[in-house]
Amino acid sequence: MRLGRLLLQLLRELADENAYARHLKARAVPHSPEEWRRFSNTRLAAKYARAKCC
Amino acid sequence: MGLLWVLVWAVVAGAGAFSLGGIALWRHEPVNSIWLIVAAACCYATAYRFYARFIAARVMALNDRRATPAERLRNGHDFEPTDKWIVFGHHFAAIAGPGPLVGPVLAAQFGYLPGTLWIIIGAVLGGAVQDFLILFASMRRDGKSLGQMAREEIGTVGGFTALATVLLIMMILLAVVALVVVNALKGSAWATFTIAATMPIAVIMGLYLRYWRPGKVLECSAVGFVLVLAAIVAGQWVAESPALAPLFTLGAMALAIAIIVYGFLASALPVWLLLAPRDYLSTFVKLGVVVMLAVGILFVRPDLKLPALTRFVDGTGPIFAGKVFPFCFITIACGAISGFHSLISSGTTPKMISKESHASSVGYGSMLLESFVAIMAMIAACVLQPGVYFAVNAPAGIVGAAPAAAVATITSWGFPVTAAQMASLAKDVGERTLFSRTGGAPSLALGMAHIFATTGGGRALVGFWYHFAIMFEALFILTIIDAGTRVGRFMLQDLLGHVARPLGRTSWMPGVIGASAVVVSGWGYFLIEGVRDPLGGINSLWPLFGIANQLLAAIALCVGTTVLLKMHGMKYLWITAAPLAWLVTVTFAAAWQKIFSPLPAIGFLAQADKLEAAMRLHPSAATGTLIFNARLDAVFCGVLLVLVATILADSLRVWAGILRGTRQDPVAESPFVISQLQMEES
Repeated sequence: MRLGRLLLQLLRELADENAYARHLKARAVPHSPEEWRRFSNTRLAAKYARAKCC
Repeated sequence: MGLLWVLVWAVVAGAGAFSLGGIALWRHEPVNSIWLIVAAACCYATAYRFYARFIAARVMALNDRRATPAERLRNGHDFEPTDKWIVFGHHFAAIAGPGPLVGPVLAAQFGYLPGTLWIIIGAVLGGAVQDFLILFASMRRDGKSLGQMAREEIGTVGGFTALATVLLIMMILLAVVALVVVNALKGSAWATFTIAATMPIAVIMGLYLRYWRPGKVLECSAVGFVLVLAAIVAGQWVAESPALAPLFTLGAMALAIAIIVYGFLASALPVWLLLAPRDYLSTFVKLGVVVMLAVGILFVRPDLKLPALTRFVDGTGPIFAGKVFPFCFITIACGAISGFHSLISSGTTPKMISKESHASSVGYGSMLLESFVAIMAMIAACVLQPGVYFAVNAPAGIVGAAPAAAVATITSWGFPVTAAQMASLAKDVGERTLFSRTGGAPSLALGMAHIFATTGGGRALVGFWYHFAIMFEALFILTIIDAGTRVGRFMLQDLLGHVARPLGRTSWMPGVIGASAVVVSGWGYFLIEGVRDPLGGINSLWPLFGIANQLLAAIALCVGTTVLLKMHGMKYLWITAAPLAWLVTVTFAAAWQKIFSPLPAIGFLAQADKLEAAMRLHPSAATGTLIFNARLDAVFCGVLLVLVATILADSLRVWAGILRGTRQDPVAESPFVISQLQMEES
C-alpha cells in the first residue's frame, strides 16, 4: 500500500502535478485552465533551459 | 554492527566476489546472465553500505540538522523539500538516457567481460562518487551549477572551459544519438511509421493538456501511451501494405534530413505543443521498460552467447576500431561514469533534497541503478548468437553489403552465422533485413524482444516487442534531440545578445529561427557526416562522444578534488584523485590515438592521408568531403584535449597553491542554518 502511494507520488512528481499543486497552494488560487497554462509556461521554460542527460 | 549483520554483509560481499570471479574466470560452458546480476547487485550493495556511508560520514560529514537549499530557499517551484524516494526517482529519470543502453551493446564486441567489469567497478569507484560529490557540493552551495562551482572553486578559466566543453559535447551527443535513430529506422517501414506517429500523438497530448484537460498530465500520458501502442500495431499493417510501405521505407539520408527538420521545428515551436508531452511520455515509458527488462531477465535467466573475451580486444573490431584499452572505457560512459550526470547533480536535484543524508541514496544510489541498467543492456546484447550480433552491428563497409559476403566474413572470424538464419530472424521481427543495422539500438531491441517474448507472448509477439523496444529507444532519443537543440539555441542567443540585443531575445522570432538553424546545422553536419561514412559513422562519432563525455567527468572530478582539498587537505584526496587519474589517462590515450594513430581505422589523420592517396588515383567530390570530415574530427578531438588540459593545469595550479599555503581559498559553502524541518520531526 505504502509502495503504491510512493509510486503514485513519484509519477505525479515526474508529471509536474505535485509541483502544480504546490504552486496553487503557495498562491492560494484555485485550479483553472489559465492558472495551469501560467504555471506550465514558467515550469517548462525553466525545465527546457537545461540539457537532457545522455 | 552486530555479529549477525557482519555475517550478512560478509555473505553479500563474498557472493559478489565469487560471482565476479566466476564470470571473469569460468570458460568451460556458457555463463548464465544471473551471475552478472548477482555480481552487480552484491557489489553495489556492499559499496553503498560501506563506501558511500564512509564518504557521507567521514568526508562530507552530512548533517541533517543543517537546512538544505530546498528548505532555506523554498519557493514552491525549483526549491522544494521532497520525499527521498521521489527525489531518487526524479534524479534517476533525469540521468538515465540512451548512453547506458547503447554503450554496453557496442562494447560487447570485446566480449561481455571487459564491459561488465568496467560498468561495475567504474560505477562504484568513479561514477557514483562523482554524482554524489557534485550533488553534495551543489547542495552546500545553494544548488549552484557545475559551471558556477568550477568558476568559484577553480577560477574563471575553469568556468569557461566547463561551459565550452558542455557546448561541444552537446553538438556531438545530438549527432550521435540522431545517428542511432537513423540506423534503427532505415529501410524499416514499421519502425519509421511508429516513430513518425509519435509526433502527431505528442501534439494531440499537448493540445489535450493545454485546452481540454489542463493539468491532467498522468491521464494525458496514459492516453498517449495507448495511442503509441496502437501505432506499433498499425506499423505492422503499414509495413505489410504494398501502397503504404514505400512511403515509410526511407534511406539513411532521407531519415537524417527528416530528423534535422524535426529538431529545427521542435526547437522553434512552443514547448507545450510537442516537446513537453513527448518528454512526459518518454520518461514514463523509460522507467516502465527498465522495470520490465529487469523482471524479464530474472524470469528468463538467459545464457550469455557471446564469449567473455573476443579476438577483437586486439583492436581490430568491426564495430569500432581500437584496443580494449582505452576504447572500452570511453565506449561505455554513462553506465560507469558520465560527465553529463554532474550537470543533473548540480541542476534540479540539489534543490529538492530535504535532508543532507538523502544525498547518499540519491547521488550514489541512482548511479548504481543506472549502472545496473547498463548491465541489463550488456545482457540483452550478449544473449544474441555472436554471429547474429556481429551481422547486425558490423558496417557494410567492413563485412560487405551482400548477405553472402557478410556471413562469409563474420563466419571467418569464428562466429558462424548464415544468410538463412538472418533472413528468418528478420522475418520474425517484421524487418526486410537486419544486416549492418549499426548503432546498437537494433541489436539491443533484438535482445530485449527475445527476453520479453520468452517472458510472455512467444514467437508470435517478437515483432511487436522488437518495435516496442525501438520505439522506446527512439522516443527518448528524440526528446534529447529537441531539448538539446533548444538549450543550444538559448546558449547561442545568450552569446549573440552581446553583439545585437534583439538576437538575444528568446521571444523575437527571427532570432529564434536563426539561432535554431545554426545549432541544428552544427549537429546536423556531424549527423550527415555519419550517414555518409562508409563505415557507418558510429565507428568515428561514438568514440568522439565518449571522449567528450569522459572529459566532462574529468572536469567534474577536478571540481570535486578541489572541494575535498579545501575541506580536508590531502587526507581524502584519493577518493576523487584516483578516478580522475584513470579518466585522464583513458581519455588522453583514446583522444591521442583517435588523432595520431598511424592505423587509418583508428587515427583520423591517417584516415585522411589514406583517402587522399586514393583520391590521387580516383578524384571525387565525395572522397574530398570524407577527407575534410576526418580532419574536422581530428580538430574536434584536439580542441577537447586542449580544453581539458587547460582545466587540469588550472586545477593543479590551484591545488599546489592550497597545499603550499600560498593560496587562501576558504570552503565556499553557504552558512550553516539550523533545519526547522528536522526540529519539527524530532
